[in-house]
Amino acid sequence: MTIVAATRLALALLVGAAAPAFAAEESALQFPARDDAIVEHLPSHVGDAAERRAARAAERAQRDALQRHPDELGLALQAAHDALARGRLRGDPRELGVAQAALAPWWTRADAPPEVRLVRATVLQSQHEFNAALVELDAVLARPDVALPVRAQAELTRAGVQQVLGHFAEADAGCRRLVGADYFALGASVRQNGLACIAELASLQGHADTAAATLARLAGAPDAGSVAPGAPGWLALMRAELAQRRGDPSAGALFAAALKANPDVYTQCAYADWLLDEHRAADVVALLKGNEAADPVLLRVALAYRQLHGRDSPLTRDAAAMLGDRYDAALLRGDRSHGREQSRFELDLRGDTRAALALAQSNWHVQHEPADEVVLAHAARAARRDDAAEPLWQFLRETGGRDARLAVGGPNATPFLPAPATSPALQAARRSTP
Amino acid sequence: MKRLFLALAALILAAHAHAHKASDAYVTLRVDGATVDARIDIALRDLDRDLDLDTDADDQLSWKEVRTRWADIAALARTDIRLSADGARCTPEAADAPALTQHSDGTYAVLRMQWQCMAPVQQLGVDYRIFATTDPTHRGIARVARADASTLQLAVLSPGKGWHRFRLPALPVAATASAAAADAPAPVAQPEADTAAAEDAPPWSFPGFVREGVHHILIGYDHILFLLSLLLPAVWTRSAVTDPRTGVTRTRWLPARNLRLALTNVLKVVTAFTVAHSITLALSVLDIVNPPSRWVESIIAASVVLAALNNIWPVISEARWKLTFVFGLVHGFGFASALKDAGLAKGALVGPLVGFNVGVEIGQLCIVALVLPVAWSLRGTRTYRGAFAGGSLAIAGVAGLWLVQRAFDLSLIAG
Repeated sequence: MTIVAATRLALALLVGAAAPAFAAEESALQFPARDDAIVEHLPSHVGDAAERRAARAAERAQRDALQRHPDELGLALQAAHDALARGRLRGDPRELGVAQAALAPWWTRADAPPEVRLVRATVLQSQHEFNAALVELDAVLARPDVALPVRAQAELTRAGVQQVLGHFAEADAGCRRLVGADYFALGASVRQNGLACIAELASLQGHADTAAATLARLAGAPDAGSVAPGAPGWLALMRAELAQRRGDPSAGALFAAALKANPDVYTQCAYADWLLDEHRAADVVALLKGNEAADPVLLRVALAYRQLHGRDSPLTRDAAAMLGDRYDAALLRGDRSHGREQSRFELDLRGDTRAALALAQSNWHVQHEPADEVVLAHAARAARRDDAAEPLWQFLRETGGRDARLAVGGPNATPFLPAPATSPALQAARRSTP
Repeated sequence: MKRLFLALAALILAAHAHAHKASDAYVTLRVDGATVDARIDIALRDLDRDLDLDTDADDQLSWKEVRTRWADIAALARTDIRLSADGARCTPEAADAPALTQHSDGTYAVLRMQWQCMAPVQQLGVDYRIFATTDPTHRGIARVARADASTLQLAVLSPGKGWHRFRLPALPVAATASAAAADAPAPVAQPEADTAAAEDAPPWSFPGFVREGVHHILIGYDHILFLLSLLLPAVWTRSAVTDPRTGVTRTRWLPARNLRLALTNVLKVVTAFTVAHSITLALSVLDIVNPPSRWVESIIAASVVLAALNNIWPVISEARWKLTFVFGLVHGFGFASALKDAGLAKGALVGPLVGFNVGVEIGQLCIVALVLPVAWSLRGTRTYRGAFAGGSLAIAGVAGLWLVQRAFDLSLIAG
């Protein structure tokens, strides 16, 4: 409902403003002269020609089967999970719609099976509808008859959403339940997830060093900077991001390991951000070239061009113009979930400090991830509006969080040291974390 | 179970939120009479998912792979976009030659096709179902306008959410915004049922046109001065007065004794003005008579001059309503151009016409309600007599200047 309302509001506001944007939408027609001209590159399947054909055939077979038996829950759930996996890999939000379509017979039902509500929660949180996602997850967890693996997944997803929202205590409680007796029957992998989740939350609350050691131990690595072969990619990514927050140069190797295990768009972009901070723009272009269909990839490519050739080079300008068009299109459909990245776009590519700050602030209003902190701090500094970053400093004082990237003078300067928290309740809360 | 936990690990990362451009199609509908010219841009990636265009499965689309499937692409658009004009279904025609275009996120197929409707379109219904069953997060970014680009409306169409109505007669600005923002069409299963719903919700905004009418008369000084010139003497009667000393009998303005008589006077004048301008307003809006506006504006100015001078040197005193009627006809043409300026398109005329006229009457009654009590209570005073003569002269003077500048296209004073 809120989406509809927001869309209407946006439309009402846009009625005048969008008209010129629309004129531009009337883009020129093309009539390719040759039959063998390649007109579009589709999201690529892995493997050689035969494997690609097989993958495509499998997708088609799944869709056909689902069309014949739309009410078969197992089939529908499998199709939805596959779509979500593809979406994560390619960073393509269309797959969220495909997952939703697969589950259409149950999608709007209040009495949908818990597995369906779990997918619904995943789709909602991917659309930045965090509170709606929490409603779904709480409903799953409130039911005593839900299968344990489904519960565990709901618990973990819920902790992830709470962490994005900056509700660390809530998230921590969920992670602790995962390592508790309730889920013991599910074995080591759930326990590992829970411990990693606790460690990451601790790292966001002033315990970065012990958290780094815990994550290294979980990954089976002999020391904090090295990478154990065979450790899951997500654990390497978690460690890489922590190393990045600590200003630890081992982040590079960890990002590379994470990417090798899990070459999805999120990991690519996380690595690219680290490379950009290290002024390794050429590596960014090499890493991301060809994947610009995903907006976050295009942003990093444009930022890399800027570092390499300057803001006014044709490469930078073309990439920025295309990105601007995509953000305009998203705004037109009422999608305001791009705030974090759009703020960087306005600040670093368009040089509009006011717009950048406004976007960073409204984004901070919704989500509190380390990347959101960096964006708000940079936008406030560029706009010479120290007061605008005050909610961020307040948040860091309360949580005890630190981030090398928040230091004045760039990522390699002295880390920002937040003033000590004064609330005894908070002190107590912090003592309870490892 | 093991499989699930592979997904589980990914889920915690999925919470680190990323957003990207989702699937949009761009739907431009240009309404020209009973014909709707459509341009529909649909992403090739989306079409490939539903129609399996990549026949050689090499993860890229050649022009041949797209071109040879054009009939299927056009059929998808024809089936999943349904149009209705004022409740009656429009018929899609064959699509133009295959064409492509680039949007910010890739290559799109461009379908150019026409729908034929039964009659000139006042309200265009769009039932958008593209990808409704395969990607409900898809949206149709619709832009609907008349062929002359007037009445541009935007909407974001969610597939499979029923009929979205675009009201095409142009509206006063404020009404356009609210119409475009109201993107909640009544869920109507059949377009035939659409008709009733269309009548429930008029395609134009009646209050919008009423406001437009009130606004027009209140900012139209020429109309106000014309009315004022006619109202000022309504509280008097023209009587023969015999000078007791000289024995000469002259007709003079005397304060009316009978309020009813005065009110009847006012009523006659106001009614004559209303009837007259309604006639010409309708004639002009319906395009039956369309005199050049310079003549109309000049004659309106002249009518004010004559009405004001008639107060000082009465030619017509008893049946002023007749004078009012004749000049009211001209004022009606003036109102018509204002109504047209407000953006009235050809089509649903009666509603806007009545609405606008009601607005004019309301504005007119406001003026009467303000002027008449004052005039009545002061009618016997010297002040009023002075104001009457001076006011009438002043009005005649101002209107005379208008007459000159309108007739000779000069700019002397505002008005």
